[in-house]
Amino acid sequence: MAGASHSPPPPPQWVLDLDSPPAPKQKAGSTPDPPGFSTASSTKRGSSKQQSSKDQPARKPPTPEEMDTLKVKKAWEVAIAPAKQLPMNAIGMYMTGNSLQIFSIMMVFMLFKTPITALMGLPNAFQRFESPGTKDKLLLVKLVYVLTNLLAVGLGLWKVGQMGLLPTTRSDWLAWEAAREPLERAYPIFGTGK
Amino acid sequence: MRWLALLLSGAWLVEPALAVFADDAFQIDHHVPLLGLPQSHTTFFHQPYAKSKASLLYTLSDKAVLGAINPRDGAIVWRQALAGPANSSNIFLRAGDGQDVVVSGVNNNIAAWAASDGRLIWSRNLGNALVHDLEIIELPDAKGNGDVLILYNDGHPVVQRLDGGSGNVKWEYIDKTGDNAFQVSTSSAHVYLISFHKAIMSGLKIRVTSLDQLTGRETDAQSLSSESDVTSPEQILYVGANSASPLIAWTDKANKALKVNILGTKTIVNLPINNSDEDDSPAITLHAPHRSTALTHFLVHYQSARSHWADVYHVNLAKSTISKAYSLPKLAGQGAFSCSTVDANVFFTRVTESEMILVSSASHGVLGRWPLAKTQSPLLPLRVTAEVAALSSSSYPTRAAVLSSNGEWTLLRNGDVSWTRPEYLTGVITATFVDLPEEQGLVHELELEGHQNALAAYVHRLTRHVNDLKALPSWLQSLPKTFMGSKSGIADSPQKDKFGFRKYIILALEDGRIAALDTTNPTSVLWSKRVLKLGPGERWSAPPELRASSRKPGIVEVWDKAAGRPIELEVETGIEAELPDSPVLGEHQGFTFELADNTIHAFSPSGHSNGAVSSSTWKFMVRTGDRIVGVAARPVNDPVASIGKVLGDRRVLYKYLDPNIALVSSVNDATGSLTVHLLDTVSGTTLHSVSYLGVDTTRTIASTVAENWFAYSFTLDDSASGSSRGHQIVISEMYESPVPNDRGPLGDASNYSSLGIDGGSQPVVPHVISQTFHIPEEIQYMTVTRTRQGITSRELLVTLADSHGIVAIPRQLLDARRPVGRDPTADEVAEGLVRYHPTLEFDPKWYLNHQREVLGVKEAITSPSNLESTSLVFAYGLDIFGTRVAPSFTFDVLGKGFNKLQMLATVAALGVGVIVVAPLVRRKQINQRWQISS
Repeated sequence: MAGASHSPPPPPQWVLDLDSPPAPKQKAGSTPDPPGFSTASSTKRGSSKQQSSKDQPARKPPTPEEMDTLKVKKAWEVAIAPAKQLPMNAIGMYMTGNSLQIFSIMMVFMLFKTPITALMGLPNAFQRFESPGTKDKLLLVKLVYVLTNLLAVGLGLWKVGQMGLLPTTRSDWLAWEAAREPLERAYPIFGTGK
Repeated sequence: MRWLALLLSGAWLVEPALAVFADDAFQIDHHVPLLGLPQSHTTFFHQPYAKSKASLLYTLSDKAVLGAINPRDGAIVWRQALAGPANSSNIFLRAGDGQDVVVSGVNNNIAAWAASDGRLIWSRNLGNALVHDLEIIELPDAKGNGDVLILYNDGHPVVQRLDGGSGNVKWEYIDKTGDNAFQVSTSSAHVYLISFHKAIMSGLKIRVTSLDQLTGRETDAQSLSSESDVTSPEQILYVGANSASPLIAWTDKANKALKVNILGTKTIVNLPINNSDEDDSPAITLHAPHRSTALTHFLVHYQSARSHWADVYHVNLAKSTISKAYSLPKLAGQGAFSCSTVDANVFFTRVTESEMILVSSASHGVLGRWPLAKTQSPLLPLRVTAEVAALSSSSYPTRAAVLSSNGEWTLLRNGDVSWTRPEYLTGVITATFVDLPEEQGLVHELELEGHQNALAAYVHRLTRHVNDLKALPSWLQSLPKTFMGSKSGIADSPQKDKFGFRKYIILALEDGRIAALDTTNPTSVLWSKRVLKLGPGERWSAPPELRASSRKPGIVEVWDKAAGRPIELEVETGIEAELPDSPVLGEHQGFTFELADNTIHAFSPSGHSNGAVSSSTWKFMVRTGDRIVGVAARPVNDPVASIGKVLGDRRVLYKYLDPNIALVSSVNDATGSLTVHLLDTVSGTTLHSVSYLGVDTTRTIASTVAENWFAYSFTLDDSASGSSRGHQIVISEMYESPVPNDRGPLGDASNYSSLGIDGGSQPVVPHVISQTFHIPEEIQYMTVTRTRQGITSRELLVTLADSHGIVAIPRQLLDARRPVGRDPTADEVAEGLVRYHPTLEFDPKWYLNHQREVLGVKEAITSPSNLESTSLVFAYGLDIFGTRVAPSFTFDVLGKGFNKLQMLATVAALGVGVIVVAPLVRRKQINQRWQISS
């Protein structure tokens, strides 16, 4: 049969091209390859490396205890973070001076806003570290977190006090003090008091 | 830090210095330059220089102000305030015919002034002697200056002829006979000294000494036998001068005959007094020309209570006889005559209540008769000065300056009123601000609403607003006008005056009248009303007290000390208000005190000095030899916004705010000391007292009290030993305690009694700190700006007699806590304190009168406006001056630079923009929702 004599058609050129990539050209001079370009040899080498890493035994997954320690460690970092900001904030506050200007007012506002929003989001901040094992340890961390944020608030209060915005002196309450009323009044008559 | 402090204090210093802004000057202030009542013998028309066609009207008034008036419009060309309180017999003003000087004589000072601009040419002081008479010799010397003859009494009568150009003495004649000098007179050839010689029995003999004009030697002396008629110099009716035949005239005792002597002759001519009237003693005045070339005619003016008439006489020089030429008919009412000359012709101008008549001295034919327009108040002419221009034989245009008995000075030009000057306003003795009745009405309504329950108040307000809607159409009509023409911030009608700049000023005049002005236009008097019958020359015994009535808005109470009840006048009309139960004297709601007989008397609320003596609570007497020169009390309504002074470190120094305090200043002439006492006026206790030695006690000592401070000024005696000379002002501040944050012995008590009702036995003594500053000028009077709530900082207003000004000194500079001898610390700088400097110069910007010359102002009053920033000021004395001050700037009202049209245009442009853009935006938004973004 003629059909049996049919041999399969030759593969297209592009298949041939794909199967046999051109031989790597000799490097002309010292021009380096662009980054990410891998010659056949390097690919080969890389594959061999993969080969070798695959050869190493797989790392042991961390135990829950280890995970907990890690989480607590991370949580401590989060709790201490506001305190690390404090010196910088303090210097900034000192530099802005005590005058009431829009810039210093904005800074003071930010100073209050950051710790207060942080305190509002206290449960969320440590949720990712929450686990049955870390629960007790996180309590202390949370307390420190609150304290450090309160420190930041304290810095803000100090700044506001420096700016004279806290009603801490007698003059701040002067408007609510009333003049003493005399029980008697005396009036000048006939041009005496002119 | 130090430079910062300096910069800050410097920047702060600049601020209060801007008292009057250039665009406010002449807008917010009003000034009435006045002269005083012109005197008949010192008022005349005169050409300011020889070839001048127009003449000016010169006068030396009863207030010793010399001025030249433009007869065309009544504006003052120039004026000079001459020294001294003069009585009218001691002031003289003369001008030689065709000469360009006017010569004045007031008290002991003779001065010659350039007639056209009022510059001083020369002046001569007589020392202790007072000038008795002043004449000008008509014949000028080569330079055109007429010499001046003066008579003064320096133990003996002395006549001097002064050189017209320099004032140097040419010759002098001393009368050593022991007679009393009376007057000096001139004819074309002679100088006559008229003196009184005491007759043996009684009466005075008139002695006429003739002197040679060139040498001053006595040529002749006549003694006239007048002793039976004349007992005092006032009885001499007239002494002519500068005439071909100077006259002296007096009446006999029975007032039946007029005795006239031509000076230099011995004969006394008896002229019968033409008294057909039932009135037995009419007042007689003589009018004769003051020019040697004029005809020797004179007019005798008779004025009785109901009518007036006149006789004209001719003098025959050759025969020394006097003959009656004709009589002017008797006319009802008051009249006045004036004699004027044109070349040799003599004219008499007669002004009556209804017409103005011109006659020639030669014949009784009337040359001009002009009826006067009927005015609201009848013109009662007192004195007339007239000028006649003889254009042709048939036309005699005449203008006459008439002083009417109500003090208005009017120029009648052929019977028409050219101008009127309110010269009586120079006699203001006291004044007060009274709110408009409408404004008070609104305040009343608001108070009413405040005291009702919420629902009733709401209904009340609703009905009030509905009633206000009635005014809407007229308001809408006036809206464009308001936008375009809101220049001065004052609306035309009182209803629209939201800022409270418009108030009535009620004035008490020294002649017993009450007058009213409007602060927005104080140049015109709204009304004047006589409340006290006073004869000519009489004055109020004590200044009356003017007070806005507390019982009904728009009423002013006039309290005269003699009367027990006030006269209540409506401020808008001056009509006496009829209120049911008018208050009686002593119905003040508290204690009262007054200064009388060098003692301060205080009375309890139950009565007053007219009532029981037992109601007197205390008396304050100064040491023997001392006399009280001033009492200043805190204003009755003196709101204070803050009861403490905040220090730089934010501690509080509490102010001593007792409303019952008065500052009494007394001087001792013998020791030259000034003592200032601070009294508690309820108990009479002295709270504070300071004495100064080496004070010139003859100079004015001004003082004032406000809030928690008082100030006074005095002049140091330059003969006393001391390191300091000149004028000083002392500022003292009172605090409850020297320690900050401490309220003193009373602590937190909410009320207190000076009488020890609730435990305390003595009034609390304040802690007083003072500082003294040298000032460049003597202060005549001082007062304080007042605002509605006392938030605005204060200014001390002082009137200056020497520089004719009113100065507002910022209180920040007059601070008793300025650091002495060192720069202020940072805290003190924050408080606004600057380093103490012993001299306080008056910054030219502090002068409220800026370019105006406010002459002779004695007192100033202030009143708050509806705007917290602004205080109204009114000053009186001679000139009338009113302005507004904003010590902390007009922070509550838009400035004049604010462009309302631009603002409206901007709003309109934005509105149009919104309308145009709105559909675009809407389409875009809709598209956004329906189109899927690829």
